[in-house]
Amino acid sequence: MLPSYYEFHNPVKIISGNKALDNLPSELEILGAKRPMVVTDKGVAGAGLVKIFIDSFGSSGMTIGAIFDDVPPDSSSEVVEKITSIFRQNQCDSLVALGGGSVIDTAKGVNILVTENSDDLLKFSGAEVLRKKMKPLVVIPTTSGTGSEVTVVAVISDVKRNIKMPFASTYLLPDIALLDPRMTLTLPPKMTAATAMDAMSHAVESYINLQKNPMSDAYAVAAIEIICENVLKAVSDGNNAQVRLAMANASTMAGIAFSNSMVGVVHALGHAAGGICHIPHGVAMNIFLPFGLEYNLPKCRENIGKLLLHIAGDEVYARTPESRRAEQTINYIVELRKALNELCGLPINLKQAGVTEDKLSEIAQAAINDPSIVMNPREMDVNDALAILKKAF
Amino acid sequence: MAVQYRPIVPGIKRFKILVIKIVFIVLGRAFQSASQHDEEIRKEISSWRDGFTLIMKVMPDGPYMGLEKKNNMLEFKGSQLKQADFEIYFKNVESAFMIMTPQMGSHQAFAERRMSIKGDLGIATVFTRVLVIVMSVLYPEFIVKRLVKRVPPLTLKRAGLRVWLYTLGILLGK
Repeated sequence: MLPSYYEFHNPVKIISGNKALDNLPSELEILGAKRPMVVTDKGVAGAGLVKIFIDSFGSSGMTIGAIFDDVPPDSSSEVVEKITSIFRQNQCDSLVALGGGSVIDTAKGVNILVTENSDDLLKFSGAEVLRKKMKPLVVIPTTSGTGSEVTVVAVISDVKRNIKMPFASTYLLPDIALLDPRMTLTLPPKMTAATAMDAMSHAVESYINLQKNPMSDAYAVAAIEIICENVLKAVSDGNNAQVRLAMANASTMAGIAFSNSMVGVVHALGHAAGGICHIPHGVAMNIFLPFGLEYNLPKCRENIGKLLLHIAGDEVYARTPESRRAEQTINYIVELRKALNELCGLPINLKQAGVTEDKLSEIAQAAINDPSIVMNPREMDVNDALAILKKAF
Repeated sequence: MAVQYRPIVPGIKRFKILVIKIVFIVLGRAFQSASQHDEEIRKEISSWRDGFTLIMKVMPDGPYMGLEKKNNMLEFKGSQLKQADFEIYFKNVESAFMIMTPQMGSHQAFAERRMSIKGDLGIATVFTRVLVIVMSVLYPEFIVKRLVKRVPPLTLKRAGLRVWLYTLGILLGK
């Protein structure tokens, strides 16, 4: 059923395929950029991806303004300020983020400071605070999960004030998301699985929550089908470029879906558990996804049931009675988690992820204050959150 | 004869603007009064700093109303505040009218982007919960059911608060 009203926005140009990276210099030129600054991390550099990146600029006549390869796993305001100063010193005119979620969010943070000509990120934290068109930003994801290459959000820690600063603005949308299978070939199996389940949770939550709309639904179900078809292959055979490219596409599609229809309890619990117990985001998504769906069953049984078609295929969908489809969807996700756990040891409960029981109350309290909760179909209070956490423990 | 093209100044939606202004006053005073008597509201807003301000306004040039946190209570500021730490804005007069009358709840309004925020996202979750409490006291259950995801229980204290709001609370803002 169509919602009475909805909005959908995705102006990001998607460039996907074999040697897509080689198009970057000409794409930058179209954007009016001549001197890009590259933001990346040690892992990406160590995997040889920066070298492939530099090679793609060969004979382009373009100069890479600077390469900063020391972004930490959690993007911080200090690093953003450091990169901003290099950007200014080297007179760069655009940004290229080469990495996962932290690198992409860091590049978005740098773009805020260089565009606003400021050194104080906190001033721009929150929703719709930004009002200026930003410098060109190209994102080359090296994981297939965050979807940050097509989203309006960034989260950056302020270490001095000990807070996480969320940013949400359409101005944060990158100009280009460039998906090249070479960029994810070296991702280890466990991280491949965790990031895939992050993408899966984006797609699933965007399909069942209050802001869902026909456009986000289309991206969500396409992402789910690709993930279900490829995730086990990507984990067991990481060198398969076709599978890697499929996963990168699924992650971007899931990103477009949730950037337009938000997420829900799974993310609220995941953010809280990540903030308090430092569980990697993808691991938390893998743990909470079936429990979040189970919690939402009373409010959106029909939509969860419809997902069975995309998760298990038409034959399973057709032979499952309508009244059992929602439960079957959850069962299939549980089975997928088991398979990933056996393949690469991806944790399936909080205990395996190193969380102690005494932290559950604190996580529950943080989860109900997480902005992701607003679009969830069911109102989660602290007791509900605690009950889900106990099941997931 | 050449057609003359003149600038067009659209009219003003006087009735709907008037209704929105009246509801802003009722809602603002209800916030002020309820925050003095409801422990849960006070607990929710305890994380906001003293002097924290928020405004609700109709874009791009419609009516607005402000609230300020003082002594862990909310004070109705009418249209005194032009800017605030946190803004809730309605995209246009029609959306504001629909939400204020109340034909649509805040969750659906946020979902349809008829209502949006500017500022700290964490404040938005707290504000939404406070708004749900105020609405559940202000309106009878058959209306609240359509507006919120879960209707808070109408305790004896809240029933008393409802009577107070209907009689003197909104009138005096106490």
